[in-house]
Amino acid sequence: MERKAISRREFLKLGSLSLGAVAASQFIAPQAARAARLHTDDPNGDGYIPTMCEMCVWRCGVRARVKDGRVVKLEGNPDNPHSKGKLCARGQSGLMNTYDPDRVLLPLVRAGKRGEGLFRKASWDEALDITAKGMLKIKERYGPEAMVFSSTHNLSQVQFENLLNGFGSPNYGTQRSLCFNAMIVANLMTYGMEEPGRDYSQVKYIILTGRNLTEAISTSETGELMDALARGAKVVYLDPRFTKTASKATEWCPIRPGTDLAFHLALINVIISENRYNKQFVDAYTTGFDELAASITDYTPEWAAPITGIGAEVIRRIAHEFSDAAPYALAHNGWRTSNFINSFPTERAITILNALVGNWGVTMFPAAGEGSGGLGKPPQPPYPRISALRLDGVPWKYPFVPLKLGIFQQMRDAILEGQPYQAHGWFIARQNPVLSLPDRQRTLQALGKMDFIAVVDIIPNDTAWFADVILPEASYLERYDPLLPMGDKAWLRQPVIEPRGEARSALMIYKELGERLGLGDYFQYKDEIDYLNQELAPLGLTFEDIRTQGYAQLPSGEPDLDKWSTPSGKIEIYSSTLEKGKFDPLPKWQEPPQPKPGTFYLLTGKVGQHTQFGTQNNQLLHKYQDDPRLWMNAEAAQNLDLRDGDLVLVTSEVGEVKVAIHATTAIRSDCVYLTPGFGHLSKGLRTAYGVGASDSVLHVTYVDPISGGQALSQTFVSVKKA
Amino acid sequence: MATIKRYGFVIDVSRCIDCRACLVACSVENNVPLDHTRIWVHELDIKGEFPNLSRTFVPYNCMHCEEPPCVEVCVSGATYKDKSNGLVLVDQEACIGCGYCVEACPYGARYLDQNRGVVDKCNGCIQRVEAGMQPACVATCVGGSRMFGDLNDPNSEVSIALKNARSIIRLDYEKDGEDTDPNIYYINAEGMEDPLVLQSGVLPHDPKYTLPESAWNKVLKPAMFAAVGGAFLVQAVYFTKQLIEGEKEFEE
Repeated sequence: MERKAISRREFLKLGSLSLGAVAASQFIAPQAARAARLHTDDPNGDGYIPTMCEMCVWRCGVRARVKDGRVVKLEGNPDNPHSKGKLCARGQSGLMNTYDPDRVLLPLVRAGKRGEGLFRKASWDEALDITAKGMLKIKERYGPEAMVFSSTHNLSQVQFENLLNGFGSPNYGTQRSLCFNAMIVANLMTYGMEEPGRDYSQVKYIILTGRNLTEAISTSETGELMDALARGAKVVYLDPRFTKTASKATEWCPIRPGTDLAFHLALINVIISENRYNKQFVDAYTTGFDELAASITDYTPEWAAPITGIGAEVIRRIAHEFSDAAPYALAHNGWRTSNFINSFPTERAITILNALVGNWGVTMFPAAGEGSGGLGKPPQPPYPRISALRLDGVPWKYPFVPLKLGIFQQMRDAILEGQPYQAHGWFIARQNPVLSLPDRQRTLQALGKMDFIAVVDIIPNDTAWFADVILPEASYLERYDPLLPMGDKAWLRQPVIEPRGEARSALMIYKELGERLGLGDYFQYKDEIDYLNQELAPLGLTFEDIRTQGYAQLPSGEPDLDKWSTPSGKIEIYSSTLEKGKFDPLPKWQEPPQPKPGTFYLLTGKVGQHTQFGTQNNQLLHKYQDDPRLWMNAEAAQNLDLRDGDLVLVTSEVGEVKVAIHATTAIRSDCVYLTPGFGHLSKGLRTAYGVGASDSVLHVTYVDPISGGQALSQTFVSVKKA
Repeated sequence: MATIKRYGFVIDVSRCIDCRACLVACSVENNVPLDHTRIWVHELDIKGEFPNLSRTFVPYNCMHCEEPPCVEVCVSGATYKDKSNGLVLVDQEACIGCGYCVEACPYGARYLDQNRGVVDKCNGCIQRVEAGMQPACVATCVGGSRMFGDLNDPNSEVSIALKNARSIIRLDYEKDGEDTDPNIYYINAEGMEDPLVLQSGVLPHDPKYTLPESAWNKVLKPAMFAAVGGAFLVQAVYFTKQLIEGEKEFEE
């Protein structure tokens, strides 16, 4: 009945109609960008505007060339330490995110069943009113904790956190437990910091443990690795797959999945038993060496060889080469480190290996972290006291998982199981849990339990597809965000064009929603420029002072080289904190589950042309991507009578997908690897829909008791011809 | 053909990570349609037996040949070798879109843009170079593989890279004593040591274009390329360091 009251042309069937075309016709042409045309040393004389990339989380500096109100080219900013004048394929394609024909350009309210893709246009006032009403209804009926908030690693994250803290919900879902919890918690236990910085300028020997730097690209770091290789540095790369990084490395070790820990324990064994460690450094700056030495006596290369599949003599040689190269040696701690049940002790072993050879201050150094860097912020009243437990069990069940990391997969399961209480609403900003979380079927069921779902995004991603309200955010080329302190500068993201359609910045969406939720006092800024001016005030600067160069100089201050925020103030080889938590204070071998005969390890990974689950609809990246396939060892494929390109059914204990195989020598015969990020459900993503398969359908959920990490390579699958 | 400048590319094959930033950057800079490309990264087959594998990525685009077959077959004069900078360029105002040059290029480095009715290809981002910038692919090369500059200038980055190279390979296309004499130099290309490493059907290939002599009998030079059927000799020419240092013209 209600639906008949709405005229037909007000419906937008995402995917069947051209949303972009419909929306674009509703609005006047974008005005000329407010941002100044500042520099004129480009060929067209139109100048460029400095801003920040957002195609991944590395945050490169960008110079955007703008012509007649359109972004025509993005360049890496040579002044920025993360871009050094370059952008990767994703960064270069960034303008296509803004000009994606599937952009959500105006607020949408669900008009059909969830998942049907039928939405109607709404004004911002109406969409925000509906969102606030939905959230307040849940708050009144079930308490603020029944509203779940999730968003990951945006520059506007601080105001997202303001929204959830002001609202009074403890339930904060970042996606970090699907990524780097193991690495972060291990670093916190050992060094008292989340992630020490790495310096490749003098490095002579690098061990990369699954850190596929040429495909999981961090522009400056990838370049530094290639520089080091060209200088003659040796790179040892551990991966069950012959990735592009493996092809560039000096030595590739196709290690058995889940046994990186055994490899590193054996390196530690050799370095200690042969007195190859830096005694002076260890004595002065670490604790617990003796306990470590006593605990690793059994972990010989001969012990590790049958476990890892890497010869004892190879392990011993690498231990020798690594310690010989010290302190110009670096064991990279990886990034996405949620792989197996032993990922946490693996990360601990890597941190300890570095400490033993005393590379601190040479190839590793204190990271500045993501502090405020002396910036100001709008005044904030205290947050309401929260008494409810967090759904993800942090910290009451998982005491060592930092609150700002959380355990996303556990939160999803708690929503599904209604334990310790039932959540009823989910506010999701630029995040795609439908594809990111393991066991997609369960995620969809959890969404089905919600009374209300609101999504902030720029495209109708798979989670937005199931939302009640979609709030269209301005793309990173169209908006301001809070400043990003990085080293001695605070970097500015500023719009280089006017937002398309009615898209708005997250800063203003959160503020306007906050005001409707009665939380106006938490958002004491008039607009984005006012926000930036409040941040800059302690520096005696205004937005106008920094918009031309795109950054503010911060007061200099080198972090102390020999101060670690651990209980002992030293690098803790033996972790007193872990001991208190009744966990192993030293890394010990832990054998992860293995595939039964006839099944394979399902590996996940990265490709250089995409970021997670958010860029597959970008037409420029689509143009240059490889077809997503299931990699399978050519001999293993032959044994199953499968040929390259055959369609196969891939089955795990929780799901099944159909995908074409890529038969190759570039993977161990006990593994398969599925190109990540594909298998989108949203028909609103017309470029990405129907391409490839999603490994989230297959992934079995796991929670590491220490770090909260998922175990993304600990799913086993069978493969047969479709 | 002697030109004042000789713009060309030097590609350090050991540093190409096949990230494809160059491909996207080129597409955006030059408004290349979504179904076409001006530049490529050729992924050579993985060599060796597990686990002793090796793999090489070979970026390429128009070779800006000294003796470009495309110029010789162009009936409208739209494709020309620029006398000042040595780049092979297309005057798209003059191009009639016949596509002969697309077929004549042994590197497959040109495409016919059906929508505009003109041929398009790498122009060395001359619009950027003239403004003092690097070509888009070079400026953003994450691995530091791509270089561009004046090969006639002994102090240019490309000339210095050639002097310091461990090995140098060019993908010459030779027939009847005529050599395309390309201006992309691959250095440190250990994976490309086999001259036939670029398998048949990839690069360089036999020109597909066969000139119908009755219709175009005035176009004499193209006939030389077209009339000979059968096997063509694909030859990768190796240059020793000494030869490079001694001979500015890089000829055998």
